[in-house]
Amino acid sequence: MSKPLFIKLLLLVIVFAVVPFALEGLGKGYYYQIATLAFVFMLLAASLHLVTGVAGLLHLGHASLYGVGAYVAALLGSKYGIGFTYGLPLAGIGAAFVAFLVALPTMRLMSIYFAVATLGIGQMLFLVFQNWVDVTNGPNGVMLFDGIDLFGYAINSELGIYYVVAVVAAVSILILNRLSHSYYGNALRSLREDDQCTAAMGINVTVMKIQAFVISAFFAGIAGALWAYTTGYISPNDFNFSQSILILTMVVVGGLGSLPGVLIGALLLILLPEVLRYFGDIRNIIVGLLMFGAILFLPKGLFGEVNALNFARRILGSAWSEDNSEKGIGWK
Amino acid sequence: MTTILELDSLTRVFGGLRAVDDVSTKVSEGELFGLIGPNGAGKTTLFNLISGFTPPSSGDVRFKGESITGLPVHKIAHRGMSRTFQNLRVFPNMTVFDNISVGALGMIGVSPFSALWGGRAKAREISERSWEMLEKVGLKEHADDLAANLSYGKRKYLEIARALAMKPDLLILDEPAAGMNDSETAELAQFITDLNKTGLTIMLVEHDMGLVMGICQRLVVLASGRKIADDVPAKVRQDPAVLEAYLGGDD
Ligand SMILES: Nc1ncnc2c1ncn2[C@@H]1O[C@H](COP(=O)(O)OP(=O)(O)OP(=O)(O)O)[C@@H](O)[C@H]1O
Ligand SMILES: [Mg+2]
Repeated sequence: MSKPLFIKLLLLVIVFAVVPFALEGLGKGYYYQIATLAFVFMLLAASLHLVTGVAGLLHLGHASLYGVGAYVAALLGSKYGIGFTYGLPLAGIGAAFVAFLVALPTMRLMSIYFAVATLGIGQMLFLVFQNWVDVTNGPNGVMLFDGIDLFGYAINSELGIYYVVAVVAAVSILILNRLSHSYYGNALRSLREDDQCTAAMGINVTVMKIQAFVISAFFAGIAGALWAYTTGYISPNDFNFSQSILILTMVVVGGLGSLPGVLIGALLLILLPEVLRYFGDIRNIIVGLLMFGAILFLPKGLFGEVNALNFARRILGSAWSEDNSEKGIGWK
Repeated sequence: MTTILELDSLTRVFGGLRAVDDVSTKVSEGELFGLIGPNGAGKTTLFNLISGFTPPSSGDVRFKGESITGLPVHKIAHRGMSRTFQNLRVFPNMTVFDNISVGALGMIGVSPFSALWGGRAKAREISERSWEMLEKVGLKEHADDLAANLSYGKRKYLEIARALAMKPDLLILDEPAAGMNDSETAELAQFITDLNKTGLTIMLVEHDMGLVMGICQRLVVLASGRKIADDVPAKVRQDPAVLEAYLGGDD
């Protein structure tokens, strides 16, 4: 068996056999919640990574697009009886649509102005969740007790829900992985490096940025639907500024530009506070110190971009290997 | 000979400064064309006007017979023009291979959908073209290195290879020999001449006379934004106005 195949199988076995087996053994809903939360945030971090890590646009409002997805799924489910099967893609499309509308005027802005604009978008959407009481139910939030209904099959067991969340998150992350580890990803990276120069290569910079922003929002919306369906209750504070910063921290601590790093960062920032529960309130300080230390001593993150690209090309085998690329460089 | 590029009374004013002042000239297909002038003469500004980086205050640029004035930079690139920069703009945090691939993929075209499904043929084309250019500039063994870690001279070649990966009809080089020593400059002169021999039209900016005099077939001299000479190198060398501009300036 080749090495890439082995590593892929190993990951599959961990996600779809080892973890659920362990969760069943622990036998408590609490652990299932953490596992779900970890998947949701890995997907959020992976989607923000496309915009911030790969295309280099500092995006401070990602949680609000996650919120759009969550509200679309929860409202369609609770008010209109549109279940998970259609609610999930519609949540992604809803978030992507909102992102497209706000992207049109913002994408021409440079660096810091873009960051401030996304901050504004985040605040604006948060205020909509909070104050458009007729639709969003305001600060009281929305309940969604429908459970997951997949093409007519009701999925009620914790294990079943785990599998649905794991499959949706894994497929989404694989798509994001494909996008960033391909020639399309190279084009996005060149935007981050020097977008004027990228234009001189014949690339429509504005269109590329809008694409990355909208695709990223689509997957944030998917994460929102997963969240709404698994917790059964959402409220505006799930999608506020500090959540956007939490996701951004995962991306930076893991390694800007590195998808595997970003996933590790998300896992750490979700699991660490749980592991440190024993320490009570001090745990937030410990997590903060660890993050601070990580950035001081590993400025490229836990798993930097160069390593990540090598990992994807050589270990996961996404390199294009023709006779002329004996080193296995290039993308499929 | 057919004209590939035609400048018609190009003018660019910055505040009160006429950086490029009423410049007209023609470049023929297959020509190796030099643009020289002392510091601040307006050479880079003229290149920026041609490649769409800066809109002209007045005048017109025609490329392959059509006006390209006011077109966005990426559309001009698609018509077959590619350029390098005086201040060397490679993508520092990308590998040498990935740098060059951006030149190729801009022309071949990629989309999020082709990255996910059915983009194999395009990916192969991008990869093959990138390897071909790597080979051409002798950077094959550096394919996997970060561009930021290359020596200055190699980064200069990388930038040219990236521009060539676009398979342009007109290549614009802004001071490619800046910062090179004599032997490196001679090597570069040979490289540019060989490129030109393959039929590629090249516009070359230099502020020293050395490189351009030896290899260019025709020269335009700018001083304070104005064209003061437009002729074969041997004539330009003896032109009193040119001598005055170079001796009178701080060069
Ligand atoms: N964006 C700008 N805004 C204001 N003035 C500018 C701008 N770009 C260039 N200039 C001015 O226009 C003049 C011509 O500059 P340009 O860079 O074109 O000269 P150059 O011939 O390329 O010189 P060098 O040999 O130093 O590269 C200079 O006086 C410069 O200061
Ligand atoms: Mg210049």
